[in-house]
Amino acid sequence: MIELLKLCGFEEQEMESELPRVEKAFTKLGITDEDIERGKQRLAKYYDIELKGVRKVFRLIVRELVAALLVRDEGKKKVIYGFMAPGIDMLGSAVVTKSKEAFVIHHCWAFHIVVGCIFGKMVPILEAAEKKWLKEGVVAHCANVKTLVGPITLGLFPKPDLLVTSGFMCETSPKTLDLLHELYDIPVWYIDTCQDREFREYPEPTRRIASLTAKSLKRLAERIQEVVGFEITDNMLREVQDAKGKLGDALRRLKDLVESSDPLPLSPTHDNIWMCLSTLTLSIDGIAEATEAINTLYEELRERVAKGLGVVEKGAPRVLAILPAGQTDPRLEHLACEVGIAIVAIDGSLAAPFKETSEDPYMKFGLESQQRSMSFPLRRRIPLIIEGCKKLNIDGVLDRFHVGCRSVVADALIIEEAIKKELGIPVLLLEWENFDPRVYNHEQYKSRFEVFKAMMTKKSS
Amino acid sequence: MQEERLAIHLRDRPAQLRDLKEKGVKIIGCFPGNYVPEELIYASGAVPLCLVHGGSPQTADAALSVVPHVICPFARAQIGERLLKNPYYSMIDMLVAPITCQHLKKVAEVWEYHGDLEIFKLGIPHQHNNDFELEYFTDRLIALKDRLQTFTGNEITNKRISGAIDLYNKMRELLRKISVIRRTSPSLVSALDFIKLNHASFYADPAFMVEILDSVYQELKGKQQATKTDRPRILLVGPNIGYGDYMVLELVRAAGGEIVIEEVCEGIRYYWNKIENKGDLFQSLARGYLVDRVPCAFMRNSAKKRLDFTLKLIKDFNVSGVIWYELLCCETYDSESYFFTQKLGEQNIPVLILESDYSTAATGQLKTRIEAFIEILKGGME
Repeated sequence: MIELLKLCGFEEQEMESELPRVEKAFTKLGITDEDIERGKQRLAKYYDIELKGVRKVFRLIVRELVAALLVRDEGKKKVIYGFMAPGIDMLGSAVVTKSKEAFVIHHCWAFHIVVGCIFGKMVPILEAAEKKWLKEGVVAHCANVKTLVGPITLGLFPKPDLLVTSGFMCETSPKTLDLLHELYDIPVWYIDTCQDREFREYPEPTRRIASLTAKSLKRLAERIQEVVGFEITDNMLREVQDAKGKLGDALRRLKDLVESSDPLPLSPTHDNIWMCLSTLTLSIDGIAEATEAINTLYEELRERVAKGLGVVEKGAPRVLAILPAGQTDPRLEHLACEVGIAIVAIDGSLAAPFKETSEDPYMKFGLESQQRSMSFPLRRRIPLIIEGCKKLNIDGVLDRFHVGCRSVVADALIIEEAIKKELGIPVLLLEWENFDPRVYNHEQYKSRFEVFKAMMTKKSS
Repeated sequence: MQEERLAIHLRDRPAQLRDLKEKGVKIIGCFPGNYVPEELIYASGAVPLCLVHGGSPQTADAALSVVPHVICPFARAQIGERLLKNPYYSMIDMLVAPITCQHLKKVAEVWEYHGDLEIFKLGIPHQHNNDFELEYFTDRLIALKDRLQTFTGNEITNKRISGAIDLYNKMRELLRKISVIRRTSPSLVSALDFIKLNHASFYADPAFMVEILDSVYQELKGKQQATKTDRPRILLVGPNIGYGDYMVLELVRAAGGEIVIEEVCEGIRYYWNKIENKGDLFQSLARGYLVDRVPCAFMRNSAKKRLDFTLKLIKDFNVSGVIWYELLCCETYDSESYFFTQKLGEQNIPVLILESDYSTAATGQLKTRIEAFIEILKGGME
């Protein structure tokens, strides 16, 4: 265990206090000695664990999960969970900065990384959810919601005082909470928004939608205040937004470096970790730690770039991937590197530039939340992807469609057609599940990647 | 008699609409789910058409060139009908797309992407327990009115809206009365006939439809009660019954069951409540379409509300079993099927869950399962 924790960036001097906590938390998860060994191997194989910045990020993620698992044992009086709830990270960070007695966590992200990516133990969790109401098979429900229902029905996480979600992307998550409320008596809350933005309203964010989101988030803040028993002021939120802004800038700088370097200096297996880091409800000090970790990593990668070192050969075909990296399994991204494909970016990081902002932290959030590629309807999303491909000098697009998410899956074939027509570059269409490692088929993916690489190489030559 | 008049009207309706289009009248489509107030379209002088075709494997499959298989067959059918040039789908000048479930939302996006149709996305907040959500919907209805005025060139006055509400209230009221007649046993009107009437109301001229419904109601009222039957009385619950998606209705009838009431979100007009025709009409429409109704499964906190409504229907219509008819990949209803099965099971109400992707290949299996279920219900009745 100590070795594993060291790989995850824990310092020698904190072992005394952290080791018993981690052991207790991992026991709750059913992590065995065998799992620990596998975890060490997976960390070494799939992640650039020799980089201090990567280790520091893992440390933050492991600590968050441990804290979530021990939340009641450690005397936290009020516990709030967020699930697919953009905005809860802002409110949650404000709460945990102010109070030692309240705990807010967007817990599934850390759970995905530790249980899925490190230990490779996501399957029993998914199966537990499938024994309830979340279907498996060719028309399976989104495995992301299974990673919420599984741990709750298995009793891994204590019952929260409030469980929050939104309908920013889909109805699956709110429906899941509806049932968790009815069947397990968990108090739930929904952040409202509306996806009625019309093409003619682009590129600027739509104020009416931002305003609805802001009002709904404000109402959630009032509800959280009732739970935790203290006020969440606008100033507290601004401080969180400032801290998160610095983290966002650091991540952007890191991504710019990765995107612009040849050879690719860091494996795309890390892409989901950045996403996880952005959504954790860290305290302001914790956000500063995260920012420092990313800055450390940036400097380490700059050294790699200066030395011409990379995870694929120089000149490897450059690929834009649609949708984020596998959240619970790093094998697909790792395989891409093995085959010699450089996944340099994901479309989720493509954002439309916009000028509008607001002094009101809720409104600021409402405006910013509309600008990401995945939040756009097709007619706007596709030009953004095409522009991104041109800007990043992309040789091919990995169009993996997350079958569990009906909200994004419908775009896949049209994206493929549009890219081929507009850019004439190869598109690899991959039926995919972002949260379910069972979809991974090494031989099939390997041969498809090899053909994809050959097509890109031929095209560029 | 009324059946024949209606059949002729529907047969001639596409030609009639083409004539109207030539005269400059706009044809405005909307997707079902009953979140788009047809009253506003009607008040603009345009013809509202609620696009509700479904049930055909060919049209659903045609859409597979555009969207993957995990989009629900009804949503795919909407894409397919347009690809295969269904006259109703081809003649619309504008689409009002309610932002309801993620599948139908995507259909609107696909149509928007191809860019050959004016589209208004009608934002539906997925909950209404906060004041600002009803306010949002009201504002969107006002925006829809503005867009319709610009598009048709006609002013939408309060008087015209009021007249339209009155007309559609009559339609809702008559459908409700006809439906309520089915409380009697045996039912004087079959589920298939009732649903066909309901579907007709989405395409027919609304004034003509009111006349037909009134005549049907008068005929039914005067009918003698048939002799008692042993057909188990069944409630059909589900997300959607498309215009043409009649296989399950026919199989139930053939197997000796009687569907006496439906709790279906899409594809059947919501006729239980009327729209208040006084005061601020936009607020009234917003309340009627968003608040004063049983929420569809995509709405927040909807499972319990729909369960309570279902239990009331079971009691009022003296139902002995429930058929849960869902479409493949409709994840909100699929999730709820678990909850409903548990809750209805606690009250010893048998539930049969059926799932369809419109494929005819599953007919045999459906038939067997329905027959077995009806046998169980009959056994339970003895």
